[in-house]
Amino acid sequence: MINKDLSVTFLGVKFPNPFCLSSSPVGNCYDMCKKAYETGWGGVVFKTIGPKSYFIDEVSPRFDKLNKESTPFIGFKNMEQIAEHSLEENLSDLRRLKKEFPNQVLIASIMGNDEETWEDLARKVEEAGADMIEMNLSCPQMTSHAMGSDVGTNPELCKKYCQAVKRGSSLPMMAKMTPNITDMVPVALACLEGGADGIAAINTIKSICNIDLEKKIGLPIVDGKSAISGYSGKAVKPVALRFIQQMRQDPRLKDLQISGIGGIETWEDAAEFILVGSTTLQVTTSIMQYGYRIVEDMKNGLMHYMEEQHVDSLHELIGLANKNIIPAENLNRDYIVRPTFDLDKCVNCGRCYISCYDGAHQAIVWDAEKRTPSLNKDKCVGCLLCSLVCPVGAISKGEITIKPNRKTKIEDIKL
Amino acid sequence: MKPKYVEELEQGFTPLTVCEEASRCLLCLDAPCSKACPAGTDPGKFIRSVRFRNFKGAAETVRENNALGAICARVCPTEKYCQLGCSRSGIDKPIDIGKIQRYITDFEESIGMDILRVENEDNGKSIGIVGSGPSALQASVELRKLGYKVVVYEKEEKLGGTLRLIPEYRLPDRIIDVEIERIKKIGVEFKTKVNVGKDISLEEIKNRHDAIIIAAGFSKGKCLDLFKNNDNVEIAFDFLKRIKECKGKEKVSNNILVIGGGDVAMDVNTTLKLLGCKNVTDVVYEEFCEFKASKKELESAQRLGVSIIDGYVPVEVNNKEVVFKHRVLDACLKIIADKIILAVGQYADVENLNLKLVKGEVNSKDVYLTDDPKVFVAGDLAHSPYDKTVVGGVRTGKEVAHLIDSKLGGKK
Ligand SMILES: Cc1cc2nc3c(=O)[nH]c(=O)nc-3n(C[C@H](O)[C@H](O)[C@H](O)COP(=O)(O)OP(=O)(O)OC[C@H]3O[C@@H](n4cnc5c(N)ncnc54)[C@H](O)[C@@H]3O)c2cc1C
Ligand SMILES: Cc1cc2nc3c(=O)[nH]c(=O)nc-3n(C[C@H](O)[C@H](O)[C@H](O)COP(=O)(O)O)c2cc1C
Ligand code: SF4
Ligand code: SF4
Ligand code: SF4
Repeated sequence: MINKDLSVTFLGVKFPNPFCLSSSPVGNCYDMCKKAYETGWGGVVFKTIGPKSYFIDEVSPRFDKLNKESTPFIGFKNMEQIAEHSLEENLSDLRRLKKEFPNQVLIASIMGNDEETWEDLARKVEEAGADMIEMNLSCPQMTSHAMGSDVGTNPELCKKYCQAVKRGSSLPMMAKMTPNITDMVPVALACLEGGADGIAAINTIKSICNIDLEKKIGLPIVDGKSAISGYSGKAVKPVALRFIQQMRQDPRLKDLQISGIGGIETWEDAAEFILVGSTTLQVTTSIMQYGYRIVEDMKNGLMHYMEEQHVDSLHELIGLANKNIIPAENLNRDYIVRPTFDLDKCVNCGRCYISCYDGAHQAIVWDAEKRTPSLNKDKCVGCLLCSLVCPVGAISKGEITIKPNRKTKIEDIKL
Repeated sequence: MKPKYVEELEQGFTPLTVCEEASRCLLCLDAPCSKACPAGTDPGKFIRSVRFRNFKGAAETVRENNALGAICARVCPTEKYCQLGCSRSGIDKPIDIGKIQRYITDFEESIGMDILRVENEDNGKSIGIVGSGPSALQASVELRKLGYKVVVYEKEEKLGGTLRLIPEYRLPDRIIDVEIERIKKIGVEFKTKVNVGKDISLEEIKNRHDAIIIAAGFSKGKCLDLFKNNDNVEIAFDFLKRIKECKGKEKVSNNILVIGGGDVAMDVNTTLKLLGCKNVTDVVYEEFCEFKASKKELESAQRLGVSIIDGYVPVEVNNKEVVFKHRVLDACLKIIADKIILAVGQYADVENLNLKLVKGEVNSKDVYLTDDPKVFVAGDLAHSPYDKTVVGGVRTGKEVAHLIDSKLGGKK
């Protein structure tokens, strides 16, 4: 079996591999974190620890899921707040974990409700043996507006609380961002000014997942009512990648160290987060659905990817895609690439014809007798919708045409 | 668990697996499956409804196109029809269309949907139908929808024709009852234990109605000369009917010889096995490569341990002893059995119905017509381009109804 070094150094801390539990019920107590470490996770971000004064009172039930066709958990909605266990219990779990797993990374997620509590929590988790602190500035369903994503959308407050945490502890610290904002950059910059060493992104997206059609109530139903709350899982991956890319492409943040979060469940998802600039990766929803064991395939798959890419360290891959994602106005608009149909592969379903007719440019000619598609070049605009709907990959990029009076040469185009 | 005669051999889909199966469907343009269904049930459309979670809409599509939707879902040889041209075969295997249809019709029943409606006002005209098999039932629905008064005459006590022979493990009586109940609900009148030609003359019912459809099917099983007047011999038709009537509550002997290689023979084979017969030997005239039975029925008989011997013809019979010769090879076979069941075909029993038969069918120049302008035929009895199957019957039922409607002047 393949074996490659997956270790990374993030904010000065060495991780045996980049895969971490993100702060959530998956890292709720000593036993869970122990099992996760033993299964091979490189790090744990312990469930967010709040101030003693903040009384946690959860609803029941508290989750919902979005399905499509026969696929469950396209997305996942939760109404949880932060750790339900007492501060003492959490600190003693941290202590025990660090003692028993000195080589795996232990990150304490904290959330205060004023400068004093942020500073105090930072001090306490450092004393308990955490290697790093993550500031939760982003939970979208706190019952207090002095906490969570209401704070995370306010750069001033973020900066102030980062400074407080840095007064309480000298540990490396990352601030966890909320995606419930148009532009993450000002908040990230404010956090760095306040002393944060890196950024974790993203937390959950405010959502309503489903509505019970009979009762006319959102799901899950809590005594006849429901509430807007955080969405996570595979469906949020595109949103997370976008925020990470936007931060990394800002000149002031181009070397920003990032812990990537949001919908990671395969090694491919993980590699994508690395390529847009993440050094470590955090996971919750796919663990809630499948268990800690998913890390085995993520690690192994990533090793094979490293081998294919001929790299010996994941650091060589970090951010490689950043320069290839550019503003839409800078893309080359000089040419059209039209589809080509491989009729040996074609199973004659006609889906390309339907989509081109109803969703594109009526450019596919359908031979009803033979049940095969062919192209009307004059009508085709090269959107390649057809190739996305083909169930067997029979449609690929074909002939390139340069638009009239454009400078690009065909041989220079990278398809 | 051991399979039972009174329990469906094939398990239905669950809400999860039906969605999984529907997700495999490529949702084809001008769907080949829909084109291939003789009854026009439109699988391409109802599978799409399932895919987009519109189960009630799916049920409407099935029911409006095929009054025997739940029956067809279970007994259609789909590998010859809708599933034959399925585009998904280009990737792996066809969509299990029959089973999706079964899920939909089970759903329809479970929530008590009433889909069949009389769309036109009564037009004052009346049609009599002889027989209550698939073609008769579909024709009755079609005509009723158009506003005709319809009366069905059936000589047996139970309605459904040959459907009442298809064994319980493939088609429970209950399913047939439910389908017929729906038809009664839209006002089709049924008269059972009326043998037209005996209990009442054809002339009499011709006088009562504006047109007559004879859908008497093939209601008798054939016997071979060699086996006549032999007490050890039973005709498959009679055997299957009796077993279905008593719901399999009959003891069978342990060594039974079956002769025949079609679906009826396979039904006898499997039934015998499910009733506990130790040794079932089926000797077939055709060789395996030319078998008439559907693959599915052949496989289920073989799975239960039926011995099938192909290519032999019976040449000599002595009470319980039958000698066979191979059709091609110089080979002989002697079998002594407790009982012999003949499954060698069915024929029409249309005495006193004034019909001329050619090769067992009413073979007129125009399908569905007879020499008498008031009398039409449908189902197995008609010389139609469709197979002698349930779904073929449904198709002829639709066509004969519309033919009559056009002759009687359409809606007015
Ligand atoms: C054992 C068996 C298994 C089969 N399995 C399948 C299968 O799996 N799939 C499939 O598609 N097909 C199957 N078939 C074939 C299918 O059942 C027939 O093709 C179909 O039923 C023919 O329909 P029909 O409308 O012609 O009438 P039939 O079903 O033949 O019914 C004719 C009816 O007319 C009545 N009748 C006849 N004469 C008179 C009269 N003088 N007065 C009043 N009533 C009269 C009869 O009693 C009978 O009820 C099977 C057939 C048999 C025998
Ligand atoms: C049930 C649940 C509880 C969560 N609790 C916390 C929390 O206490 N602190 C926190 O920073 N993030 C919390 N999150 C957010 C996750 O850590 C993570 O940022 C988000 O779910 C996206 O990652 P995923 O798609 O891998 O789940 C929670 C998420 C879920 C699903
Ligand atoms: S590329 Fe777009 S316009 Fe051209 S055939 Fe495909 S779907 Fe139609
Ligand atoms: S979508 Fe693909 S498989 Fe279907 S007809 Fe078009 S080319 Fe053929
Ligand atoms: S032919 Fe097969 S794949 Fe195409 S619509 Fe019908 S069931 Fe679906």
